[in-house]
Amino acid sequence: MMKIYDYELSVNCYKQRLLLGILGVPYESIPVDFFPGWEHKGEAFAEINPLGHIPVIDDDGYILRDAQAILVYLALRYDPSGLWYPVTDPRVAGEVASWMAFAEGTTNTASAARLHDTLGYPFDIDTVRAGAQKLFRVLDDHVWFHEQQERPWVASAPHPTIADLALFPDVMLSEQGGISLLDYPALRRWTDRVKHIPGFTVMSGIFPAPAGAAPAGAAPGGATVGRPR
Amino acid sequence: MEPDPSTSWYPVARSDDLPLRHVFQGELLGRELAIWRADDGFVNVWENRCLHRGVRLSIGLNEGRELRCQYHGWRYANRTAGCTYIPAHPADAPARVICNVTFPAVERYGLVWTCDSPGGVAPGDGPPVLAALEAAAPLGLRNLPVNAEPSTVLDELAAYAFVPTGLLAQRTAHDRPVAGSATLGTEELGAEVSVTDRGHSWIELTARMGEAASRVVLFVQPVDSARSVVRGVLAGGADGADGADGAGVHSPERDQMAVLRHHHRELSRLRDAIEDRAARRPSPVPMTPRLQQVRLRPAESALEHDRRDGGRRTGLRVSVARRWDTADAIVAFELRQLDGLLPTPRPGAHIDVELPNGLVRQYSLVNGPGETDRYLIGVKREPASRGGSACLHDTVIVGDVLAISEPRNNFPLRRDSFRTILIAGGIGITPLLSMAQALHWSGHTYELHYFAQSAGHVAFTEILDSLGPDVTTHLGLDPSGTGSVLTRLLSDPEDGGHVYVCGPGPMLDATRNTATTAGWPDHAVHFEYFTNATEIDSSSSFEVELARSALTLPVPAGSSIMDVLRANGVAVASSCEQGACGTCLTAVIAGEPDHQDVYLNASERRAGDRMAICVSRSRSPRLVLDI
Amino acid sequence: MAVSDTATMGTPSCTDPVALHEWYPISALVEITPGLVHRTQLLGGAISYTRTPGGSRPVVWPSGGEASGAEVDGLAVDHQLPVRVKFGYVWTTLGRPEHELFDIAECDEADRRIQNGGSIMVATSAPRAIENFLDMGHFPYVHTGILGAEPRTEVLEYDVEVTDEEILATRCLFFQPQAALSASDGQMTEYVYRVPHPYCVMLYKSVPTDASRMDVIALFCQPMTEERVRAHNFLCMVDAVNSDTALKRFQQLIFGQDKPILENQSPRRLPLDPRAETPIRADKSSISYRRWLSAKGLTYAVIPATAPSPTPAPTPAPTRSS
Repeated sequence: MMKIYDYELSVNCYKQRLLLGILGVPYESIPVDFFPGWEHKGEAFAEINPLGHIPVIDDDGYILRDAQAILVYLALRYDPSGLWYPVTDPRVAGEVASWMAFAEGTTNTASAARLHDTLGYPFDIDTVRAGAQKLFRVLDDHVWFHEQQERPWVASAPHPTIADLALFPDVMLSEQGGISLLDYPALRRWTDRVKHIPGFTVMSGIFPAPAGAAPAGAAPGGATVGRPR
Repeated sequence: MEPDPSTSWYPVARSDDLPLRHVFQGELLGRELAIWRADDGFVNVWENRCLHRGVRLSIGLNEGRELRCQYHGWRYANRTAGCTYIPAHPADAPARVICNVTFPAVERYGLVWTCDSPGGVAPGDGPPVLAALEAAAPLGLRNLPVNAEPSTVLDELAAYAFVPTGLLAQRTAHDRPVAGSATLGTEELGAEVSVTDRGHSWIELTARMGEAASRVVLFVQPVDSARSVVRGVLAGGADGADGADGAGVHSPERDQMAVLRHHHRELSRLRDAIEDRAARRPSPVPMTPRLQQVRLRPAESALEHDRRDGGRRTGLRVSVARRWDTADAIVAFELRQLDGLLPTPRPGAHIDVELPNGLVRQYSLVNGPGETDRYLIGVKREPASRGGSACLHDTVIVGDVLAISEPRNNFPLRRDSFRTILIAGGIGITPLLSMAQALHWSGHTYELHYFAQSAGHVAFTEILDSLGPDVTTHLGLDPSGTGSVLTRLLSDPEDGGHVYVCGPGPMLDATRNTATTAGWPDHAVHFEYFTNATEIDSSSSFEVELARSALTLPVPAGSSIMDVLRANGVAVASSCEQGACGTCLTAVIAGEPDHQDVYLNASERRAGDRMAICVSRSRSPRLVLDI
Repeated sequence: MAVSDTATMGTPSCTDPVALHEWYPISALVEITPGLVHRTQLLGGAISYTRTPGGSRPVVWPSGGEASGAEVDGLAVDHQLPVRVKFGYVWTTLGRPEHELFDIAECDEADRRIQNGGSIMVATSAPRAIENFLDMGHFPYVHTGILGAEPRTEVLEYDVEVTDEEILATRCLFFQPQAALSASDGQMTEYVYRVPHPYCVMLYKSVPTDASRMDVIALFCQPMTEERVRAHNFLCMVDAVNSDTALKRFQQLIFGQDKPILENQSPRRLPLDPRAETPIRADKSSISYRRWLSAKGLTYAVIPATAPSPTPAPTPAPTRSS
């Protein structure tokens, strides 16, 4: 069975659990004492990932590291619909890759602020927060204009992609880094839509959406969001 | 001079910021707001704070009819914000005073407007009415947060430069780069922009270029002392026909994106400049709005009526908005408030209705959750009517005004059960319908069994239809047929399950007997007679003497001291009405209190010189209070 | 939403004598590298700490200019603050406590698994974190499927005893689908809660595999500022099955679920006036806790009650305006 070297409070590990849950792929979570044990920085873990990062997956002996890379692998390997990483549509695939790179930025700013404020990581908190605000403005603008065109997701496809999952936890947990989402209403709506994706799972710090009516566009195929009046 | 925030309207969201089941997080004048649209379309603007433990309601769940707090699952009703259920105490109805802080809401020009007037009473004339935006369907621009003082932002927006809509559309139509192009700015295009009107929180600008002209109104939402949101509305929408000079050029709808992008780019450019200048000034002190304290139960309108009307409890005035025959011999009445909001209805509650002929009758509310703008009752014409049901059937018409009481609940609904069986006979359906709707819309499992003479006797079919397969009707059964169905329904008593029954006396007795025989414990079988007669055990009553008011009042079982005082026009402060907060603590001069609160500690209880009169009673026949 | 972390020198902003003359945890002992400077905050002031080279003695002092991670000889530090090592944590004080730290008898049992489940910072006051720890009503909504699940949401009547030294809540029963890592089926679980310190709380619950013994889980709060806390999750378990990592993961999962609730509470300081929020009967331990803090005269990280008149005078008869 697929193994994932995992830490409950890690956004990057959660991205993998989220996609695996949505795709219905069974996996075994191997807990890493990330905090306070720093096990991922120890010698034993260096055998698995010399960079000392999690997540790492072990899919029947195939070892892969890096959050965004694992999402690509899992989507191509386990999504028969081909929609989560739609490589057959070059434009959409390009957009997905572009937003995956953007997610590196939100992880290095918004999620870094969270690590500083929660676990005491020695980042320059003002710098990472300002960096996150700058990226969130860009993302909120993008999502708002997409909504106006009845596109509910970050890529222009009518269904969610791994780019949505790569960005979701950084945005959702940013308040734990002292970055309020009050100025980003389009992002708050988009996180609601992600929560309604069939198979969605939570991590500590993220609550589920209400049962019942899903906002239009949450399931693949749907695409209706509000238009200006 | 700064306008009075309690009577000045500001936009706080776009209408399309409130999609289905979303809770919008907003802020006005330093006060956070939770804004949500109920499934019936009503826009709720509430303080963003559950009054139980202060948790933001914007992380709660919009369930369409009620908002559920994420922390303890407390439910708050659409429109009134009254608490309808506290899951930690499934058997108790929440005190009526548990109500979140609301603000008025009006939608205009695609924006949601409110003012800093807690309590939800809409002051003045509402949001501004602007001629420019009245003429044709306006287009809402992208909202833009600006980290700068609202008054400065308003002043600096006078420098906003943009291109008339018709021209933008024309250029787009000719596939010229407009939106997103840095090389073709407003200056290059040479539009003349001037301020053509302004108010205390908005500014209207007109751009002219040759024959083309467009007007934009920019509203500034004062978020806090150093934060604003600019909400722009373009007159005439994307086709530019706003009537400014009649020179608008019609363009395809897809040009709307070009228009939105143009304004967003130009406004963002101005925003960056405003923020740069603001960053060089010292930051003003953040606003500190007064958090609303939990409301002490003040002088209430119902009590005022009580006093003027000589102690009668029918203190609310409603008008009959609609009446219709919902089944054979059953008329449904929809009652609407004359002013203000009706108290929040809860499943199982009933009201007293004072009839034109002077009689007072009790009727259960049929309301579903969040249905807070009216009360719905069903009245069956009783053959042996002494003038109650006949009077309502024969003389009360649409437009009549009736006096009713606040809802009271002797038949509260638990929602902590894996199995809830609702059993209704005839007109006994009414309280069970409100229960079924509450369970249905909050996703609890239940079954409703409705016994009626015939299909023609089935009332409120439109509500039953909305509930779907959890409802079973049993038609035309005789007593033995009914008995065998009841035996089957109740044959499998479940630990933690509950049965609710309302109907004619014989059926009610049959249900209770069947349940007991099958092994259901007494406490799991809940029932209500139509008349809502409250059985009073007079043997355990006591007297309370109010030393300062020179009044002596009997307290019957089933009524609290507080109930009795209020019924007699003595105002007392309270909050939780569960013996938890200590608000109603009252000095005891003589007598032995029977403490039932959780506020006082053991030694304070022993001292016996203070008591919580909302729940505590008396061990001695007479209690003297310092009131 | 920036949090005030401006104190860099060792001057506490706290002037509350009740808070000053108290012991506080600042770190798990094993997480301190001997010979290197660690920095943190306590009561608004910056403090530094280390362990003596080669030795296990912790040294704590008000921060000067030294940087985190710099080398330091603990033996040579001036102005050392009083230190205690207890439950695996280093405790210090900025005042002169007249009492010693509370005890947890179970810690002396030989087969106990004692460890720090993680020291996690939260943007709230220490008393808000304590009050949340005492609360059962939120289990079905915040720890869904683990410590509680709808529709079994009832908080049954329980007992609270209050003395000057501590608050003890007993007979606390709640239906739990998975109360501990070693529990599989849902069951009514009985808890005892104990508050022996204004900012420390613990719960005792029976060991799923041995009903005669109690697991102990505690939250030792380090008030960094009035509105920022570092919560040390202390575990003292009887569990022969699960790894340390698995136990820590479970505890962090639970605390990680509480964190967004705590950070979305307003105001962050705990209001002691019972009328500032809406308590219900299930909140008996919280009501007792707020009154106990009031009786101690504590003012740090709380909003003190403004001495309400306990007996409300009858309000004048209402009149109708307009």
